[in-house]
Amino acid sequence: MASKTMAAPPTGLAAKWRRWRFHLSALLLVLPLAYLPRYFDDLALSRGEKGLGQREIGQLAVGPWQVRLAEWRVEPPLPEGEAGHMKTFTLGLCADCISQVKAAYVRVGKPRSLRTAGALFSGSPYRLMASVPIPQRAGADAQLWLTLEGWDGALHQAAIPLAQASPVTQAWLARQN
Amino acid sequence: MRKTGRTILRLSAALVLLGAAVPVHAHHPTARCQQQDAQTIVCRGGFSDGGGAAGVVMDVISYDEKILISGKLDDKSTFAFKKPQGDFYVLMDAGAGHVVEIDHTEIK
Repeated sequence: MASKTMAAPPTGLAAKWRRWRFHLSALLLVLPLAYLPRYFDDLALSRGEKGLGQREIGQLAVGPWQVRLAEWRVEPPLPEGEAGHMKTFTLGLCADCISQVKAAYVRVGKPRSLRTAGALFSGSPYRLMASVPIPQRAGADAQLWLTLEGWDGALHQAAIPLAQASPVTQAWLARQN
Repeated sequence: MRKTGRTILRLSAALVLLGAAVPVHAHHPTARCQQQDAQTIVCRGGFSDGGGAAGVVMDVISYDEKILISGKLDDKSTFAFKKPQGDFYVLMDAGAGHVVEIDHTEIK
Protein backbone atom coordinates (compact mmCIF):
# COMPACT_ATOMS: atom_id res chain seq x y z
CA MET A 1 0.00 0.00 0.00
CA ALA A 2 2.82 2.36 0.90
CA SER A 3 4.44 1.95 -2.50
CA LYS A 4 1.30 3.34 -4.12
CA THR A 5 1.71 6.73 -2.47
CA MET A 6 5.32 7.13 -3.64
CA ALA A 7 5.93 8.47 -7.14
CA ALA A 8 7.35 5.66 -9.21
CA PRO A 9 10.48 6.61 -11.19
CA PRO A 10 9.54 7.08 -14.83
CA THR A 11 10.28 4.15 -17.04
CA GLY A 12 10.52 3.52 -20.75
CA LEU A 13 9.44 6.40 -22.96
CA ALA A 14 8.77 8.76 -20.06
CA ALA A 15 12.35 8.38 -18.85
CA LYS A 16 13.76 8.97 -22.30
CA TRP A 17 11.64 12.07 -22.77
CA ARG A 18 12.79 13.43 -19.42
CA ARG A 19 16.40 13.00 -20.39
CA TRP A 20 16.05 14.31 -23.94
CA ARG A 21 14.01 17.35 -23.18
CA PHE A 22 17.05 18.65 -21.30
CA HIS A 23 19.21 18.19 -24.42
CA LEU A 24 16.45 19.76 -26.51
CA SER A 25 16.37 22.91 -24.41
CA ALA A 26 20.18 23.20 -24.70
CA LEU A 27 19.86 22.82 -28.47
CA LEU A 28 17.28 25.60 -28.59
CA LEU A 29 19.77 27.90 -26.85
CA VAL A 30 22.56 27.02 -29.27
CA LEU A 31 20.57 27.13 -32.53
CA PRO A 32 20.41 30.96 -32.79
CA LEU A 33 24.23 31.03 -32.84
CA ALA A 34 24.06 29.60 -36.37
CA TYR A 35 22.34 32.83 -37.47
CA LEU A 36 24.95 35.14 -35.94
CA PRO A 37 27.12 35.52 -39.10
CA ARG A 38 24.03 36.47 -41.13
CA TYR A 39 23.03 38.92 -38.38
CA PHE A 40 26.43 40.67 -38.44
CA ASP A 41 26.38 40.66 -42.27
CA ASP A 42 23.00 42.38 -42.25
CA LEU A 43 24.23 44.95 -39.73
CA ALA A 44 27.32 45.70 -41.84
CA LEU A 45 25.20 46.00 -44.99
CA SER A 46 22.72 48.43 -43.45
CA ARG A 47 25.53 50.48 -41.92
CA GLY A 48 27.06 50.82 -45.37
CA GLU A 49 30.27 49.01 -44.43
CA LYS A 50 29.73 46.65 -47.37
CA GLY A 51 29.29 49.44 -49.89
CA LEU A 52 26.14 50.55 -51.64
CA GLY A 53 24.68 47.03 -51.66
CA GLN A 54 25.74 43.41 -51.80
CA ARG A 55 26.71 43.78 -55.46
CA GLU A 56 27.75 47.08 -56.96
CA ILE A 57 26.68 47.32 -60.62
CA GLY A 58 28.87 50.28 -61.41
CA GLN A 59 28.84 53.91 -62.39
CA LEU A 60 26.29 55.23 -64.88
CA ALA A 61 25.88 58.57 -66.57
CA VAL A 62 22.28 59.78 -66.44
CA GLY A 63 22.45 62.93 -68.54
CA PRO A 64 24.97 65.20 -66.81
CA TRP A 65 24.74 63.25 -63.56
CA GLN A 66 26.98 60.38 -62.48
CA VAL A 67 25.31 57.78 -60.29
CA ARG A 68 26.33 54.48 -58.76
CA LEU A 69 23.85 51.62 -58.85
CA ALA A 70 23.85 48.45 -56.77
CA GLU A 71 21.78 45.39 -56.00
CA TRP A 72 20.83 45.66 -52.34
CA ARG A 73 20.90 41.89 -51.94
CA VAL A 74 22.06 39.29 -54.42
CA GLU A 75 18.80 37.38 -54.45
CA PRO A 76 15.91 36.80 -56.85
CA PRO A 77 12.89 39.14 -56.66
CA LEU A 78 10.78 38.59 -53.56
CA PRO A 79 7.05 37.88 -53.82
CA GLU A 80 4.87 40.72 -52.51
CA GLY A 81 1.43 39.18 -52.93
CA GLU A 82 -0.85 40.93 -55.42
CA ALA A 83 1.88 43.44 -56.29
CA GLY A 84 3.99 40.71 -57.87
CA HIS A 85 7.72 40.21 -57.35
CA MET A 86 9.94 43.03 -56.11
CA LYS A 87 13.65 43.62 -56.39
CA THR A 88 15.49 46.26 -54.39
CA PHE A 89 18.17 48.45 -55.95
CA THR A 90 20.26 51.17 -54.33
CA LEU A 91 21.51 54.36 -55.93
CA GLY A 92 24.24 56.78 -54.88
CA LEU A 93 24.29 60.29 -56.38
CA CYS A 94 27.58 62.03 -57.11
CA ALA A 95 28.46 64.74 -54.59
CA ASP A 96 27.76 67.57 -57.04
CA CYS A 97 24.43 66.06 -58.16
CA ILE A 98 22.87 65.90 -54.72
CA SER A 99 21.72 69.50 -54.73
CA GLN A 100 20.51 69.27 -58.35
CA VAL A 101 18.51 66.03 -58.39
CA LYS A 102 14.95 66.26 -57.14
CA ALA A 103 13.85 62.66 -57.68
CA ALA A 104 15.06 59.38 -59.11
CA TYR A 105 12.85 56.64 -60.50
CA VAL A 106 13.54 53.12 -61.72
CA ARG A 107 11.52 50.54 -63.62
CA VAL A 108 11.82 47.61 -65.99
CA GLY A 109 11.11 48.78 -69.53
CA LYS A 110 11.09 52.25 -71.02
CA PRO A 111 8.71 54.62 -69.20
CA ARG A 112 5.94 56.17 -71.28
CA SER A 113 5.94 59.38 -69.22
CA LEU A 114 7.18 60.84 -65.95
CA ARG A 115 4.04 59.51 -64.26
CA THR A 116 5.00 56.01 -65.27
CA ALA A 117 8.72 56.41 -64.50
CA GLY A 118 8.42 53.60 -61.95
CA ALA A 119 9.43 53.18 -58.33
CA LEU A 120 10.64 56.31 -56.57
CA PHE A 121 14.03 56.10 -54.85
CA SER A 122 13.91 57.22 -51.23
CA GLY A 123 16.39 57.71 -48.43
CA SER A 124 19.70 59.51 -48.12
CA PRO A 125 21.13 60.79 -51.44
CA TYR A 126 24.26 58.76 -50.70
CA ARG A 127 22.19 55.57 -50.63
CA LEU A 128 18.74 55.85 -52.13
CA MET A 129 16.63 52.70 -52.22
CA ALA A 130 13.76 51.55 -54.40
CA SER A 131 11.81 48.32 -54.77
CA VAL A 132 11.02 47.65 -58.41
CA PRO A 133 8.26 45.34 -59.57
CA ILE A 134 9.77 42.77 -61.94
CA PRO A 135 7.13 41.73 -64.49
CA GLN A 136 7.22 37.97 -64.95
CA ARG A 137 6.71 38.37 -68.70
CA ALA A 138 9.92 40.44 -69.05
CA GLY A 139 12.18 38.84 -71.62
CA ALA A 140 15.89 38.12 -71.79
CA ASP A 141 16.49 41.57 -73.33
CA ALA A 142 14.65 43.47 -70.56
CA GLN A 143 16.21 46.74 -69.53
CA LEU A 144 16.30 48.67 -66.29
CA TRP A 145 15.47 52.33 -66.89
CA LEU A 146 16.58 55.09 -64.55
CA THR A 147 14.85 58.47 -64.74
CA LEU A 148 16.30 61.42 -62.87
CA GLU A 149 14.37 64.65 -62.45
CA GLY A 150 16.23 67.85 -61.65
CA TRP A 151 14.98 70.76 -59.57
CA ASP A 152 15.06 72.80 -62.79
CA GLY A 153 12.56 70.35 -64.33
CA ALA A 154 15.14 68.63 -66.53
CA LEU A 155 14.58 64.93 -67.15
CA HIS A 156 17.41 62.54 -67.93
CA GLN A 157 17.24 58.82 -68.53
CA ALA A 158 19.62 55.91 -68.77
CA ALA A 159 19.05 52.22 -69.38
CA ILE A 160 21.11 49.15 -68.63
CA PRO A 161 20.31 45.53 -69.44
CA LEU A 162 18.62 43.75 -66.54
CA ALA A 163 21.05 40.88 -67.09
CA GLN A 164 23.85 43.29 -66.20
CA ALA A 165 21.98 45.01 -63.36
CA SER A 166 21.02 41.74 -61.72
CA PRO A 167 22.08 38.40 -63.20
CA VAL A 168 20.17 36.64 -60.39
CA THR A 169 16.95 38.34 -61.50
CA GLN A 170 17.60 37.46 -65.13
CA ALA A 171 18.13 33.82 -64.17
CA TRP A 172 14.92 33.92 -62.14
CA LEU A 173 13.05 35.36 -65.14
CA ALA A 174 14.41 32.62 -67.38
CA ARG A 175 12.96 30.07 -64.95
CA GLN A 176 9.55 31.82 -64.99
CA ASN A 177 9.13 31.84 -68.77
CA MET B 1 -4.49 18.10 -13.05
CA ARG B 2 -2.32 20.95 -11.87
CA LYS B 3 0.45 19.75 -14.17
CA THR B 4 -1.86 19.69 -17.20
CA GLY B 5 -3.01 23.19 -16.31
CA ARG B 6 0.58 24.40 -16.20
CA THR B 7 1.39 22.78 -19.53
CA ILE B 8 -1.62 24.43 -21.12
CA LEU B 9 -0.55 27.77 -19.63
CA ARG B 10 2.98 27.36 -21.02
CA LEU B 11 1.75 26.34 -24.44
CA SER B 12 -0.65 29.26 -24.64
CA ALA B 13 2.09 31.66 -23.52
CA ALA B 14 4.30 30.34 -26.33
CA LEU B 15 1.44 30.78 -28.82
CA VAL B 16 0.83 34.36 -27.65
CA LEU B 17 4.53 35.16 -28.10
CA LEU B 18 4.57 33.64 -31.59
CA GLY B 19 1.41 35.54 -32.48
CA ALA B 20 2.99 38.79 -31.33
CA ALA B 21 5.54 38.51 -34.14
CA VAL B 22 3.46 40.25 -36.80
CA PRO B 23 4.83 39.76 -40.31
CA VAL B 24 5.83 42.95 -42.08
CA HIS B 25 3.85 43.75 -45.19
CA ALA B 26 5.11 46.22 -47.72
CA HIS B 27 2.69 48.75 -49.13
CA HIS B 28 2.77 48.51 -52.91
CA PRO B 29 -0.16 49.54 -55.07
CA THR B 30 -1.84 46.78 -57.04
CA ALA B 31 -4.50 46.84 -59.72
CA ARG B 32 -6.23 44.41 -62.02
CA CYS B 33 -8.62 45.06 -64.84
CA GLN B 34 -10.96 42.78 -66.69
CA GLN B 35 -13.44 43.08 -69.45
CA GLN B 36 -16.94 42.82 -67.96
CA ASP B 37 -18.69 42.84 -71.33
CA ALA B 38 -17.82 43.97 -74.85
CA GLN B 39 -18.03 47.65 -73.87
CA THR B 40 -17.15 47.81 -70.17
CA ILE B 41 -13.87 47.31 -68.36
CA VAL B 42 -13.77 47.05 -64.57
CA CYS B 43 -10.60 47.62 -62.57
CA ARG B 44 -10.00 46.82 -58.94
CA GLY B 45 -7.22 48.61 -57.09
CA GLY B 46 -5.67 48.13 -53.71
CA PHE B 47 -2.45 47.79 -51.79
CA SER B 48 -0.35 44.69 -51.33
CA ASP B 49 -1.04 44.63 -47.59
CA GLY B 50 -4.65 43.81 -48.48
CA GLY B 51 -6.04 47.32 -48.00
CA GLY B 52 -8.39 49.05 -50.42
CA ALA B 53 -7.50 52.19 -52.34
CA ALA B 54 -10.78 54.15 -52.43
CA GLY B 55 -10.32 57.62 -53.91
CA VAL B 56 -7.10 56.86 -55.77
CA VAL B 57 -6.86 58.38 -59.27
CA MET B 58 -7.42 56.04 -62.23
CA ASP B 59 -6.65 57.39 -65.67
CA VAL B 60 -7.21 55.77 -69.03
CA ILE B 61 -4.47 57.08 -71.32
CA SER B 62 -3.92 56.60 -75.04
CA TYR B 63 -0.53 55.55 -76.42
CA ASP B 64 0.05 59.16 -77.54
CA GLU B 65 -0.30 60.26 -73.88
CA LYS B 66 -3.78 61.83 -74.05
CA ILE B 67 -5.95 61.23 -71.00
CA LEU B 68 -9.10 59.65 -72.43
CA ILE B 69 -10.98 58.98 -69.19
CA SER B 70 -10.13 60.18 -65.71
CA GLY B 71 -11.75 58.83 -62.59
CA LYS B 72 -11.22 57.57 -59.07
CA LEU B 73 -11.62 54.22 -57.35
CA ASP B 74 -15.02 54.11 -55.62
CA ASP B 75 -15.77 52.97 -52.04
CA LYS B 76 -15.40 49.36 -53.15
CA SER B 77 -11.99 50.13 -54.73
CA THR B 78 -13.34 49.58 -58.23
CA PHE B 79 -13.42 51.73 -61.33
CA ALA B 80 -15.52 50.95 -64.40
CA PHE B 81 -15.16 52.63 -67.76
CA LYS B 82 -16.29 52.31 -71.36
CA LYS B 83 -13.62 50.70 -73.48
CA PRO B 84 -12.09 53.41 -75.68
CA GLN B 85 -11.21 53.00 -79.32
CA GLY B 86 -7.58 52.35 -80.13
CA ASP B 87 -4.59 51.48 -77.97
CA PHE B 88 -4.60 52.60 -74.36
CA TYR B 89 -3.35 51.81 -70.89
CA VAL B 90 -4.86 52.21 -67.44
CA LEU B 91 -2.84 54.04 -64.81
CA MET B 92 -3.55 53.74 -61.11
CA ASP B 93 -1.82 56.77 -59.60
CA ALA B 94 -1.43 56.67 -55.82
CA GLY B 95 1.33 59.31 -55.91
CA ALA B 96 4.86 59.62 -57.29
CA GLY B 97 6.48 56.21 -57.53
CA HIS B 98 3.24 54.52 -56.46
CA VAL B 99 1.69 53.71 -59.79
CA VAL B 100 0.41 50.62 -61.56
CA GLU B 101 0.22 50.53 -65.31
CA ILE B 102 -2.02 48.06 -67.10
CA ASP B 103 -1.75 47.80 -70.84
CA HIS B 104 -4.93 47.12 -72.83
CA THR B 105 -3.36 43.92 -74.13
CA GLU B 106 -3.33 42.58 -70.55
CA ILE B 107 -7.07 43.15 -70.10
CA LYS B 108 -9.01 40.00 -70.90
